[in-house]
Amino acid sequence: MGQPLAKKVLLIGFDGADWKLINPLMDQGLMPALERLVNEGVMGNVATLQPVLSPLLWNSIATGKRADKHGILNFVEPDPHSGGLRPITSTSRKVKAVWNILTQRGFRTHVVGWFAGHPAEPINGVCISPLYAHTPTSPDQPRPLPPGTIHPAELAETLAELRISPAEITSEELLPFVPLAAKVDQEKDRRLAVLAKLIADNCSVHNAATWILQNQQWDFLAVFYDGIDHFSHAFMQFHPPRMEGVPEDLFELYKDVVTGAYRFHDMLLETLVTLAGPEATVILVSDHGFHSDHLRPRGMPREPAGPAIWHRPHGILCLKGPHLQRDERIYGATLLDITPTILTLFGLPVGEDMDGKVLLQAFEEPPQIGRIPNWEQEAGECGMHPAEMRMDPEAARAVIEQFVALGYMEPPTEDQSKAQSMARREEKYNLARVHLDARRFREALPLLKELLEENPDEARFAQHLAECHKQLGQVGEAKAVLAQLLERGQTEPRSDLLMGLIKFEEGDTEGALEHLLRAEEANPRLPGLHLRIGDAYLRMRRWEDAERAFERAVDIDGDSPYAHLGLAVVRLRQRRSREAAEQALVAVGLQHFLPLGHYCLGVALARLRRLDRAVLAFETALTMAPGLLNAHRWIATIEGMPGGNAEKAAEHRRRAQELARQRRKAARL
Amino acid sequence: MITVVSGVPRSGTSLMMQMVAAGGMEILTDGLRGADERNPRGYFEWEPAKHLLQEPGRIAEAEGRAVKVISSLLMSLPRDRSYQVLFMHRPLAEVVASQAEMIRRRGTQGAALTPAALEAALEGHVRQVMAWLERQPHMRVCHVHYHRLLQEPQAETDSILAFLDEPLNRAAMLAQIDPSLRRQRHESTAK
Repeated sequence: MGQPLAKKVLLIGFDGADWKLINPLMDQGLMPALERLVNEGVMGNVATLQPVLSPLLWNSIATGKRADKHGILNFVEPDPHSGGLRPITSTSRKVKAVWNILTQRGFRTHVVGWFAGHPAEPINGVCISPLYAHTPTSPDQPRPLPPGTIHPAELAETLAELRISPAEITSEELLPFVPLAAKVDQEKDRRLAVLAKLIADNCSVHNAATWILQNQQWDFLAVFYDGIDHFSHAFMQFHPPRMEGVPEDLFELYKDVVTGAYRFHDMLLETLVTLAGPEATVILVSDHGFHSDHLRPRGMPREPAGPAIWHRPHGILCLKGPHLQRDERIYGATLLDITPTILTLFGLPVGEDMDGKVLLQAFEEPPQIGRIPNWEQEAGECGMHPAEMRMDPEAARAVIEQFVALGYMEPPTEDQSKAQSMARREEKYNLARVHLDARRFREALPLLKELLEENPDEARFAQHLAECHKQLGQVGEAKAVLAQLLERGQTEPRSDLLMGLIKFEEGDTEGALEHLLRAEEANPRLPGLHLRIGDAYLRMRRWEDAERAFERAVDIDGDSPYAHLGLAVVRLRQRRSREAAEQALVAVGLQHFLPLGHYCLGVALARLRRLDRAVLAFETALTMAPGLLNAHRWIATIEGMPGGNAEKAAEHRRRAQELARQRRKAARL
Repeated sequence: MITVVSGVPRSGTSLMMQMVAAGGMEILTDGLRGADERNPRGYFEWEPAKHLLQEPGRIAEAEGRAVKVISSLLMSLPRDRSYQVLFMHRPLAEVVASQAEMIRRRGTQGAALTPAALEAALEGHVRQVMAWLERQPHMRVCHVHYHRLLQEPQAETDSILAFLDEPLNRAAMLAQIDPSLRRQRHESTAK
């Protein structure tokens, strides 16, 4: 066991929270608790994972593993009992979560409301499943806790009393969210009821969490609030500025809800941090961001996970506590890094099978990081459900099929069968996308082929299959899949974008541009499209067209590091070094791990005769991409000048020559 | 109190129903599935048991009686009643073979799994049901092993009688146990 760097860890999950909304609110002093956390700790973006679906993501946060390993691949799963569907359960998680590891090592560990957390796990502490907070909206309905909601069961009665029903939310409590609530015609408009339910559900979670902090000994508490994501899905369309198509009267009624939701969560945060005490390490994380500006989607894809189109790829991350930096920004964090970092805070080793890393940048001093092959083989009571309760859903389905064939059970209804089959299809699709995200194209390929074979009309399967073929260098196959789509008349702009990318890589820049411009005509806001158009113009040495394309990309998403990188490249070509340096700085500020950004910054600075800083930029680029031949050449040239470091120059010249030799050899082969 | 005879299909549930019926317990059956070569004395089934998912309240009709409820439907039984469950166990290789034969005769389509995979799936299912039963305060469970019942009928019947909350006719129950009923026998257990 390494040196523990935290006495207690409070992990708070705010589903869908986004700095884009938080930063202006903090600037106005409207989120004081979070501002204090930011000032006293480290903050940064946290990159989400694909597909951006909350059950997969929160279980990656809790395990340090991608969804193919942890096994939570959808919102729902076939219910072997009813023949229908049920919300995905904790028994489907195949690996230990951080609370199981901490239980195994004797820490007093509590979990409240985590995604896919039902039934509650028998950990060394209190475990409350997400079903706890989901109360009926009508005050007349009984509110029994479903079996398995609370561990230990003897606390069920006490905790059940802490729940808030939507009927208990008063109109005064709705006013901060909807100041003109009195004007809402509740006969026709149910949004106030939705709002009351969201507030009540999250208050219930909060009451349980604060009860634990006040009444239980604790080393670790993980608490999950789904509020921000749900408020945002229901009300982000009304957030200012008014979206096209949103009626003026509804906009006026509901324009303050999202801001109200963030301020509400800031109050929850304030209480949690205060109760946790100054010695506690606090980690606040969201699984993804949420579009709140001109990038808000105008339509919804007609697919089961369609609402996820609102999710932005960067969530929020804050860490505060002993041995952590203060008032610093960290870069390059992903959801997979949370569990390895928590284990390190407790002085426990990180599993080598975990996909994440320890967030070293967050620590004052580099921590001692222990490693073990994996935690799954470590013996000891870990508070997971017994193996008997975990059953492969496919095997469970087969058993039901068998019993139906024997005449002992009624077959599932047509609707149930259809729902189950769709759930299985989405699970397979999500697994394929997990592999794609991890760049395991060979694993994704057979899944996507099967999906397309079974569902030839689903363009999304074909597009991902084409992308997979392309990544595997199977350009002919990729083109054939896209051509089939076009033959079917499925001329979606994403197919043109993909075809454009393929032609670009084949060297057919004109052909690529033709497809890309056609995609632009159909959907000018397609993610990544203008970057590709810019790349095509750059290759054609049409600097002004490239400039326009990258500026368009910046207009659509000012937080895109690649858009700013594209502009930096254009400026370099135009010999506008100062502007190139500015754009490159913005790009690496948005995404530190961007070797070409640091390289462009180096070139611009070298041209501006700021040679020391240029060398630093080139060296940073090389730590990220040691094969950047020209970075070695630049350092060799700069350090070879009078007053430079001749030894360093020689070393980089040698490396540049070695790389050039390797490339010639590879080209000959 | 409701007496539930349960287990996976073809694990000996019909035999157990015959025994408790012969012993004098009132049973709930509609006789819709009649006797056949596989179960010459009948199946002792009650059609609404198949619909317990949709209509769990129908189980009230079994109050004070014995009823056959397949393992996968035990979870549908309302929690506001008390149950004494006789759960049948039989080697799953035998169960799989017997189920295959029954499916063939019915002309239906079973799970698309190899016998070994189906056996593994059934094993997982039984483990899951056992784990679930352990946590149900409204259910008392007596595990009855089919082979033990055939090989040591007296001892096994005594265990059942000790478990049930009403006196039954032991001799009549024992008279139902006819080892020749056991048609499907897995090679490994035959040796």
